[in-house]
Amino acid sequence: MKFVFLILKNLRRNLLRTVLTALGTVVLVFVVTLVWSVLSFLDDVTSEKSTNLKAIVTERWQIPSQMPFAYAATLADGAARKSGDVHPIDSMTWQFFGGTLDPKSRTRENLVFAIAMQPRKMITMMDELDRLTGDDAAEMERILRLMESNRRGIVIGRERLAAIDKRVGERIVLHGLNYKDINLEFDIVGTFSVPRYDQTAVMNREYLNEALDEYARTHRGEKHPMVQKTLNLVWVRVPDQQSYSRVAEQIMSSPYYSMPAVKVETESSGVSAFLESYRDLIWGMRWLLSPAILVTLSLIISNAISISVRERRLEMAVLKVLGFLPRHIMLLVLGEAVLVGTLAGLASATGTYYVVNDCLGGLKFPIAFFPAFFIPRAAIGWGLTIGLTTSLLGSIVPAWGARTVRVSDVFAKVA
Amino acid sequence: MSRTPIVRVEEVHKFFVRGSEQVDVLNGLNLTVPEGEFLALMGPSGSGKTTLLNLIAGLDRPTTGEVWVGRELVSKMNETQLARWRTRHVGFIFQFYHLLGVLSAFENVEMPLLLLPLSAAERRRRVTTALELVGLKNRMRHRPGQLSGGQQQRVGIARAIVTDPTLIVADEPTGDLDARSAEEILDLLEELQASLDKTIILVTHDARAAERAHRVLHLDKGRLASEERRTASLARSASEGA
Repeated sequence: MKFVFLILKNLRRNLLRTVLTALGTVVLVFVVTLVWSVLSFLDDVTSEKSTNLKAIVTERWQIPSQMPFAYAATLADGAARKSGDVHPIDSMTWQFFGGTLDPKSRTRENLVFAIAMQPRKMITMMDELDRLTGDDAAEMERILRLMESNRRGIVIGRERLAAIDKRVGERIVLHGLNYKDINLEFDIVGTFSVPRYDQTAVMNREYLNEALDEYARTHRGEKHPMVQKTLNLVWVRVPDQQSYSRVAEQIMSSPYYSMPAVKVETESSGVSAFLESYRDLIWGMRWLLSPAILVTLSLIISNAISISVRERRLEMAVLKVLGFLPRHIMLLVLGEAVLVGTLAGLASATGTYYVVNDCLGGLKFPIAFFPAFFIPRAAIGWGLTIGLTTSLLGSIVPAWGARTVRVSDVFAKVA
Repeated sequence: MSRTPIVRVEEVHKFFVRGSEQVDVLNGLNLTVPEGEFLALMGPSGSGKTTLLNLIAGLDRPTTGEVWVGRELVSKMNETQLARWRTRHVGFIFQFYHLLGVLSAFENVEMPLLLLPLSAAERRRRVTTALELVGLKNRMRHRPGQLSGGQQQRVGIARAIVTDPTLIVADEPTGDLDARSAEEILDLLEELQASLDKTIILVTHDARAAERAHRVLHLDKGRLASEERRTASLARSASEGA
């Protein structure tokens, strides 16, 4: 306890240096926390799960995937044809409808990108919406009922809603961008409580399909050019890897899906494939930026502690004369560095967690289709560990120097 | 009345290597210091007096020869053993006090006690007693920067005696003080030696400081050049005369 007291006294000796070292640590831990939050999220979504995994069925040879809606029913059932075939636990279909509020002046602010699907699948198949509880779950249930009773109902993420300057309860018309001449009128029935979908919208798929049917009626029987290409993705949920392999085999061997052919992949490998274009950026963040920051942090601490040790060689010699062992001296020096590093790291990560998540609504780093990243609670532990490890590494050399101070040499110089 | 020797230095040689040159500092020196003696070491610069003090205090080891303090062969101890031994058996008084500026007088005096298995209450009792002995009980909370040179040296003396050491070594303890403060410090050392019966070895260039000692050894070129024995009463009257 007295040693800690002595360490604190020593840190107060040059308060400006201590504060600057702590500030340097805070800033660098802040940056590492942001970078690692993004990497950790991407690692999580691209790591293969062993149970309760989702598979994505898409068109095999083309991006973006555009399959006929006729595939939907059988794919949703995992293309099970005979007894003994595996049926997925659940499934959902995604049809993408992009529209603008103002066809004469298309801007980023008046665009809405909606996923057309069965509304109730939101709470069974969509990440995070499938884990809502309490008031959020009740609000989602209310929205679903409205969308089921009113096919024009649309739910829009908070940020997108703010961008188009609309509110829940208002009515909007979206002029189709990927579906030419399909203009849809919507009633905004709610918004998502999950920040992940802040830029997303979900509509009832029946409304889109009816609009395409209506197109033929109003165009002398001529079908809409997109009518055979409306199904973009099919998601199926299976209990384990074995079931996934069986379902994948069932779909791939099915004669139904030849024009166009389809492919099946797990959600994680699908996301990985999507992230392939960001590969260099992610590699740089992981293997260049993060290590560079950690090394810089160690050097900052090492420099501050080295100066401190150099200034106090005589004092350390006096401590040795009084009977302090070399390891006591080393512990005092390491203790100073570790205390500053650990506390600054912990404070930085904790501050980052609350500021980014609660005040800023996530880190707006548009990579792939993820609009914002959130700092995981584990980041508080990262900050503590980074601070502790880098300060320890940075102070080992100066602490060793302090440990090996020769009493007689120091006093000889004084005399 | 002859008293038990507390320090024995036997055939001690010490040399340093400076570049390609060997510098002999002590050349086969022998010395015995009885328990309770106040010994002064004098000599010109480079005569080896501080080196001898460092060897006796366990801050350095001789090249050859033996240094005994009590029943301990100090010259054969390793660094860890020496550090532990110094904590219990040696009190140091430095010319430039070497107090830790961030600590109060109380905390400075308490420093050596942190290494001993003592309760906080016992440490407090010992520190208070030591500061009382040097007349600084009312300055306990002051930091070194708030004390005069003489007061800082008193704190240094309190730090040296707080562990109740076998031996007190002082290297030019009055070298950085004005004449009046120097006298006060010498009075204090003399008092401590008389009242606590401590063995004190003092290195000094100052003849007036040496006059307080029971015995004065003059070193020259690493050898004992002469010895001047003074009785306690003589030493005291010398101090009073001064």
